[in-house]
Amino acid sequence: MSDFAVRPSRRHVLGGAAAGLAAPFILRSEVLGQSTFDWKRFSGAKLDVMLVKNPRSDLLQAHEKEFTALTGIQVSSEQIPEQQQRQKAMIEFTSGRPTFDVCMLALHVQKRLAAKGRWLEDLRPFLADASLTSPDFDYADFAEGAVGFGRQADGSIDTLPHFIDFWMVYYNKEMFEQKGVAYPKSMDEMFVAAQKLNDPAKGVAGFVSRGLKNANIPVWTSWLLGQGMETVSPTGQLLTDTPEAIWAGEMYKRMNREVAPPGTVGFNWNECQTTFMQGRAAMWLDGIGFATPLEDPTKSRIVGKVGYGVTPPGPKGHHSALFGDGLGISRTSAKKQASWLYLQYMCNKGNQLAMLKAGAGSPGRSSALANPAAREGSRFPKEYFECLAASGKIARAGLPQIIPVTEFRDVFGVGLTNTLSGADVATELKKATEAFKPVLEKSEQG
Amino acid sequence: MSNRVVAGGIWRKLGLGVSVFALVSPAILVFLWMISLSLKNELDNTAYPPVFIPNPPTFSNYIDVFEKNNFLLYFWNSILVTGGAVLIGLLVGVPAGYGIARSKAYRTAIMILIARMTPALSYLIPLFLVFQILGLIGSISALLITHLVITIPIIVWVMIGYFEGIPQELEDAAYVDGATLWQSFRYIALPLARPGMMVGAILAFIFSWNNFVFSVVLGGKNSRTLPSAVYNSLTFEQISWGPLAAAALLVTLPVIVLTVVAQREIVAGLSAGGLKD
Amino acid sequence: MTAIDLPASTATADVEKPQKLAPRRYYLFALPALVLIAGVIIFPWVFTLVMSLMEFKVGGSVEFVGSANFAKLFADARFGESVLRTFWFTILAVVLPIVIGTWAAVVFHREFPWRGVLRTVFIMPMMATPVAVALVWTMMFHPQLGVLNYLLSVIGLPPFAWVYDPSTVIITLVLVEVWHWTPLVMLIVLGGMAALPSDPYDSATIDGATDWQMFRFITLPLILPYIMVAVVIRTIDALKVFDTIFVITQGGPGTASETLNIFLYLQAFQFYNLGYASAVVVVFFVIIIALSLLLLYVRQKLKWNA
Repeated sequence: MSDFAVRPSRRHVLGGAAAGLAAPFILRSEVLGQSTFDWKRFSGAKLDVMLVKNPRSDLLQAHEKEFTALTGIQVSSEQIPEQQQRQKAMIEFTSGRPTFDVCMLALHVQKRLAAKGRWLEDLRPFLADASLTSPDFDYADFAEGAVGFGRQADGSIDTLPHFIDFWMVYYNKEMFEQKGVAYPKSMDEMFVAAQKLNDPAKGVAGFVSRGLKNANIPVWTSWLLGQGMETVSPTGQLLTDTPEAIWAGEMYKRMNREVAPPGTVGFNWNECQTTFMQGRAAMWLDGIGFATPLEDPTKSRIVGKVGYGVTPPGPKGHHSALFGDGLGISRTSAKKQASWLYLQYMCNKGNQLAMLKAGAGSPGRSSALANPAAREGSRFPKEYFECLAASGKIARAGLPQIIPVTEFRDVFGVGLTNTLSGADVATELKKATEAFKPVLEKSEQG
Repeated sequence: MSNRVVAGGIWRKLGLGVSVFALVSPAILVFLWMISLSLKNELDNTAYPPVFIPNPPTFSNYIDVFEKNNFLLYFWNSILVTGGAVLIGLLVGVPAGYGIARSKAYRTAIMILIARMTPALSYLIPLFLVFQILGLIGSISALLITHLVITIPIIVWVMIGYFEGIPQELEDAAYVDGATLWQSFRYIALPLARPGMMVGAILAFIFSWNNFVFSVVLGGKNSRTLPSAVYNSLTFEQISWGPLAAAALLVTLPVIVLTVVAQREIVAGLSAGGLKD
Repeated sequence: MTAIDLPASTATADVEKPQKLAPRRYYLFALPALVLIAGVIIFPWVFTLVMSLMEFKVGGSVEFVGSANFAKLFADARFGESVLRTFWFTILAVVLPIVIGTWAAVVFHREFPWRGVLRTVFIMPMMATPVAVALVWTMMFHPQLGVLNYLLSVIGLPPFAWVYDPSTVIITLVLVEVWHWTPLVMLIVLGGMAALPSDPYDSATIDGATDWQMFRFITLPLILPYIMVAVVIRTIDALKVFDTIFVITQGGPGTASETLNIFLYLQAFQFYNLGYASAVVVVFFVIIIALSLLLLYVRQKLKWNA
């Protein structure tokens, strides 16, 4: 909060969560923007925005005041928990009358649905229109992977990929030191390390990750990426009962059964996070966007002890499972141009940098990642940023790019969960593959 | 009195005491734990062994609920939806209960029972599509109309039982004196059924207030009711037990207060035949 | 509303023999409610029935497929399991509250200090918002940090998996249900006990009957109709349970607590198979009608005997 003092005027007072932002940076971009670009064109418009409940959205909401001051556009936004938000997006878009102008979209779940249902406006015409796009916006600044994530098969760009999530390993350095264990260099070593660190008598588990059906899929796909393989081939064939997928399933089973705390079968990210944050697990495999509270002394017991490790390589590959969110404009919105200003502003360089600094996840823009200002004054250590950068280089889709992602997660999630009660991995995966195949085929026909 | 009875009395008292303790403690402990969670910070809430007494108690969870979650708006939405649905339910349900009881329309009664038994969820698909066509998704009126699915069957069902318990002879006597049907309902049956209305209204209020799934699917930014709003306050990036417990407590507080205040009516109503028949 | 205040003499047309005309005319009272019911209840029923014959996925096309949805449903192992699970859950969630609730009614029927206050406390769970309480239960069930496992460890018991194990999840959810709804059973049975005559007890006491004998042979037969009412209501509510299961487990672990209602929700509002989901509703509906007719029959029988 120290930079309150150096702010030149009320105009530049930022909303609460953005207070850690580098003030000079914002000042520059804003002045630059104003001199050449008319932000006030749609003054008086009122936008409805539907966001997903997460720290990124907290930041977006914190920026609303300055956005309104700059553009005269009013914003009425709402954060809804993930599952319900996806459901609402689906329901409202297909109704043809969504109640919002701007929507946050989970690209790893709903990208193809959005394309199929023509939910969102193609942003290319806006990007090409100099009267609508501020010269300092610089779309080329978005990282290649992020751009690919936000682009549909037909080449249209219907979302700005503002957030990218990489899966990585949080580990408790203190525990590693006490047991004399080094950070694992392979997935197999990870299991060995977890065995050494596992200490049920003390209530400490060697490893924790999601076991809950649906939520557990990225854990399995993370292991599968270690075989250099995704769940669906580029030609749309299910690879879910291949020897590699079974290997990943076995990995999932032993990690979540032998070295995990009791009850992981019901764990989503939040139970895992709580377990890890309370110093009751030595490693935790999950998205880097979940780091926010780990270094917060009012919530975490392991402040300063957290290591941020890149997902170790598997037998045939070294990847970090990739997920991402985009911001898009509803195709039926009557205020598309004003909405475009909102998108532009919320995804500008300064705001993307602020997101990184807050530990709210990896931004889509390269400039934010490369900016040394991110590390200064952040409560996250150097290692966090290094892990982000390294993961970014080896990122690969963590979920198949198909339409029925939710069914996929459900059917395979149930199968994987069953293995935790002792069921045979190959049998379960075979069963799930058979059950899911017709669903996939049907969805590709429609 | 013989010694046997006196000794038996002691054992009986002891048994009674143990029984009361065993029955009441789960009820009270859950609420106490809820209060405890709502008054502690996150570190204490996830501590193990657990911290039971908040020391010092913090109100930041409650401040959180009000500042971050637009709690008052959702509260007001709940009042509008539940209040409206109960009022309309009473307005049409009480006469309906009377009409069905007096005309012995058992088939209608059974239909009401089935309506009461059908899971609320199953009305959701068609109503959702209709509201979609009417452009009512996300409006208070859509929620209010949907909540009628809950309130009308309960009130009608309770009222049928009540009116059946009121002897027809009283009204017959009134007809002889020249009263109309409406008058005998209004001045004879209705006053006698007042406790039943109380029971019906209270039960309808509770079920409607507590309903969750309608608001999850049909509620919008400005029309969401409390239960789904509380569910929404689960944050994605971290588990937050304190604010969640605070919000949970605030949601359930109105119905708990209603229980305490109207307990006598509920008990009296039930024993007077509110739910039998 | 002006009709309310009409003096008796001004309404003259209706005087002659209203009793005989009654059955049809009493229907007028029910008319407004029936109109509303037709709109919000009957219409959805019919609509659902029609939808159940369609292949309709949100965002896709609508196509008439006849009974294909039902054929698929009966071949769907997951559906069959959810039906059985629902019955199992319902049986437990009826029997336990009935037994405990009757016990509670016997207890609260006695006079003892603070009875009113304690009874109020006992009733509180019944009114508590299920979603709100379910969230708190979730925290209490946490296998490592939950207060319940701590309490078990205090009395020397090993930790329990609660909702985190397929073999214990149903009984744990039933526990929540028992906590919630035992008070309702207690209230209904207590209502029945208030009307009990005192003579049989007086003579039984003189004959030296034990408490248990008095309960078994005098109280129980007399309150049986009330217990049946409680059974009906509990069955209805247990079949319908959604909120607590949805919030606490979402049907998990795996599908271990996936009841009919959860399966329905999943199909309708997660996978958006509205046609298929409507078929689930229709089957659910048939089960409910069959069950309600059965219960009404049993209750009618009991009334005869009483």
